[in-house]
Amino acid sequence: MNFISALTPLQWILLGSVPPAIISLYFLKLKRHPVEVPSTYLWTRTIEDLHVNSIWQRLRQSLLLFLQLLVLLLAIIACFRPGWRGTTLIGDRFIFMIDTSASMSATDVGPSRLEAAKKHALGLVEQMESSDVAMVISFSDVPRIEQAFTNNRSSLRQAINKISQTNRRTDIGEALRHASGLANPGRTSEAGTSDVQVADALPATMYIISDGGVPAVPEFAPGNLTAHYTKIGTATPKNVGIVAFSTLRNPEKPGQLQAFARLENSGEEDVEVDVELYLDGGLVDASSETVPTDGAHGVSFVLNDVDSAILKLKVQYKDHMSLDNEAFATINTPRRARVLVVTPGNDALRFAITTEAAARVADVAFAEPATLETQEHETLALAGAYDLIVYDRCTPKEMPEANTLFIGRLPPAEGWSAEAPKLSPLIIDIDRLHPMMHLVELGSILIYESLPLKGPEGASSLVDADSGSLLMIAPRKGFEDVTMAFELVGEYPDGDINAKTNWPRRKSFPVFVMNAVRYLGGARASLNVVGSRPGRPVELRTEAPTEQITVESPTGVRTKVQRESQNSFIFSRANELGVYTVREGSEREAGQHFSINLFDGRESDLVPREMIDIPYFDETTERVGVHASAAEPSRKEMWKLLLILGLLVLVFEWYVYNRRVYL
Amino acid sequence: MSSTQSSTPLLSPQLLAQLERLELVSRKIFRGRLKGERRSKRKGQSVEFADFRNYVPGDDIRFIDWNLYARLDKLFLKLFLEEEDLHFYALIDTSTSMDFGDPTKLQYAKQLAAALGFIGLCRADRVKIEALGASRKNPAPALRGRSSMWRMLDYLNSIEPGDNIPLAQGVKDFCLRNSGQGILVLITDLMDKNGYEPALRFLLAQNIDVYVIHVLSQAELEPDVTGDLRLIDCEDTDVAEITVSRPLLNRYKQTLATFIDGAKEFCTRRGMSYLMTSTETPVEQLVSNYLRQRGLVR
Repeated sequence: MNFISALTPLQWILLGSVPPAIISLYFLKLKRHPVEVPSTYLWTRTIEDLHVNSIWQRLRQSLLLFLQLLVLLLAIIACFRPGWRGTTLIGDRFIFMIDTSASMSATDVGPSRLEAAKKHALGLVEQMESSDVAMVISFSDVPRIEQAFTNNRSSLRQAINKISQTNRRTDIGEALRHASGLANPGRTSEAGTSDVQVADALPATMYIISDGGVPAVPEFAPGNLTAHYTKIGTATPKNVGIVAFSTLRNPEKPGQLQAFARLENSGEEDVEVDVELYLDGGLVDASSETVPTDGAHGVSFVLNDVDSAILKLKVQYKDHMSLDNEAFATINTPRRARVLVVTPGNDALRFAITTEAAARVADVAFAEPATLETQEHETLALAGAYDLIVYDRCTPKEMPEANTLFIGRLPPAEGWSAEAPKLSPLIIDIDRLHPMMHLVELGSILIYESLPLKGPEGASSLVDADSGSLLMIAPRKGFEDVTMAFELVGEYPDGDINAKTNWPRRKSFPVFVMNAVRYLGGARASLNVVGSRPGRPVELRTEAPTEQITVESPTGVRTKVQRESQNSFIFSRANELGVYTVREGSEREAGQHFSINLFDGRESDLVPREMIDIPYFDETTERVGVHASAAEPSRKEMWKLLLILGLLVLVFEWYVYNRRVYL
Repeated sequence: MSSTQSSTPLLSPQLLAQLERLELVSRKIFRGRLKGERRSKRKGQSVEFADFRNYVPGDDIRFIDWNLYARLDKLFLKLFLEEEDLHFYALIDTSTSMDFGDPTKLQYAKQLAAALGFIGLCRADRVKIEALGASRKNPAPALRGRSSMWRMLDYLNSIEPGDNIPLAQGVKDFCLRNSGQGILVLITDLMDKNGYEPALRFLLAQNIDVYVIHVLSQAELEPDVTGDLRLIDCEDTDVAEITVSRPLLNRYKQTLATFIDGAKEFCTRRGMSYLMTSTETPVEQLVSNYLRQRGLVR
């Protein structure tokens, strides 16, 4: 607390002479109201007793004198302008950005980081001047405008209080763009004219209240925006979190399942934790692991004879964040792909597609090209009854609602064309990264002739030869069409029907067919364990074609989802962590499950960052990025408060005078 | 200051009816001057037997108990109690201080005196109502009999406040002029700066049954004053400057209580009856309740 004199010495002398004047006036004030009484006999005797401490008694009797002196005292103190160092907001337009990502649920500052952030934001609202305007944005991986610009403090307070915790990751980029949109209005220009600014720029101050676990935002222009970052959280939080959890079938031992997890420790000490694995709610395995400080540790479990299950991994450790102490994985019954092979006869293809491995993942049916003409086939093909249809040396009248593999023929779809057949093409390149070509070796393969392919827009070549593309894949309305430019078996010019390539004799052929069944049959989606992050859309597929599925969240909220293309369903409300249950059509029983986990090392790392890495140049510190700062110091004065107090005392004095209150 | 000539009558018909049934009582038995309606110490003619005594020549032979003479062969004279009148005096303080309150203390005192006087008149007692210090200019009449009620009321109505003689002086005057025995009711506010004690001592010297009725107005019991005041005594224009505050008012009440207690103790010790009353207490209630309890009337 310090003081600044607001008056000149002469004024002080004048002011200082007022209290003695009031007191002397009080003593001199002898204009007493005369009242005639029957006798002063008793009064005289009364005041004789009171005359003992006369002056003090007289002072004590006058409440009004005291109140007058009090008013004056408050005025004098106000003239000293007492004040203290406080904080203030800079500017008159503010954007309060409050982090609601998963890491803000940490309890290292009680009751949680988010509550502390809200409290801080409320404090900032309190510091606003009456003419200031502010807006409130909460952000996780998506921003949300809680309150548009307003100078109504109660609206701002309400908006801040309404902000709730999310389980999502952090991405401040979109929130920054929201904020800068106002300070840096867009420009427009027409041909031949210079840029026109469509609105006036309104400089604003942005207060980011976060723990700083924010990915760098490289593309952002702050323009007229001034940024301040308030760090929430203690310097030494404790947290051990699961950042990955997945399952994999052992390729060597069918039926055996391996579960892998990765734990990270953001605390300052090595921590020994108990990791427990639950299968359908029952504890099946546990181990004690030591997670090094600022490091990661892998854990693996082996499970036998598991076809479908819900796995839960739990870390038994009391830390500051509980969201990442549990992780879920689901194993659904592998969904079999439905494959139709339309061929006039192809033993090599038949052998390759009816292997044991293929039988595990697909139901394969064979049909003659004549079948394509039937109404029944057309209906099935258009209703999405097949995942993959292989057309060997034949083409349908209309493209089916399924993935297709054309062998030796062009799909009857727009964009596909081929040049004249070329003899003996030489394979130059293979797209080994594509799943279709996974482990497929095409060295020393002889091909009689091929049609150099040209695919539609978006098509990519999987196998290139000197004459052109031999294998192309192209998207079509959510499906994919693969066209093989050569026949496996075909008619030679001499009328002999024989193999036109030696590829089926190579090991790579069944591998390619298997890849095709897995990839185009859609089996890859169901064979893998489905999992996603909170807030992301989840793509679901059903065994049988159905129009609608019902998804039940971990807390029991049911959502109906309508079918998208290719028998897939997009569920976009996966905000809770845990296992979701999918029910198909009107089925009561759970068809499949999928899990939503946090799995984010950045969120699990609770140590608050000193800087938010955005392209912002701080002019005062001359550093790039927004560094954690204390609020701007300013002098807070209390003379207004003192004068208000003085006024209140005056009102009280008026009351005393009028109501004749006695001490 | 309100007028002493109050428009309200001193005695209302209801009060008169109530008072007719009452009578004045003296704790002492005094000798009256005329034959009245109350028993006297003296033997005389009445129906109430008192005693026997030997006959001496000259006695009225009508009172000889002949039955006794027949049995004892001696002459005895039967004595009967004499019935006598009672002297009732009411002394009203008419100083200016009595002219305060609503009704004024003086008006209240007049009403009380009238009520008591009427009781006496109804019982054929000798009633004398006198204003203190008024003897010189307006001598009080001695009254007897119900028919004298109007004279009494006229006299009372003629009493004006303003005779600011000391209480002791007034009482002394009265005692010098009235040496008779009986009942004396002193109606006053006892507000005398020289003290009330000398006045009461004069009365003590008389062989008289004294009742002191201390009348105070509500303004004296619960002063309704605020602010900085200069209090002016209406009798001697003495001035007291006060600043009203809670402690001062408390102190005043304490002083008042001490004053009342002092007067009460002084009277009780000396065989006088003391009764403090407020002008707020109706006269009917005072007469029929409080004075009955004190034994002045029955």
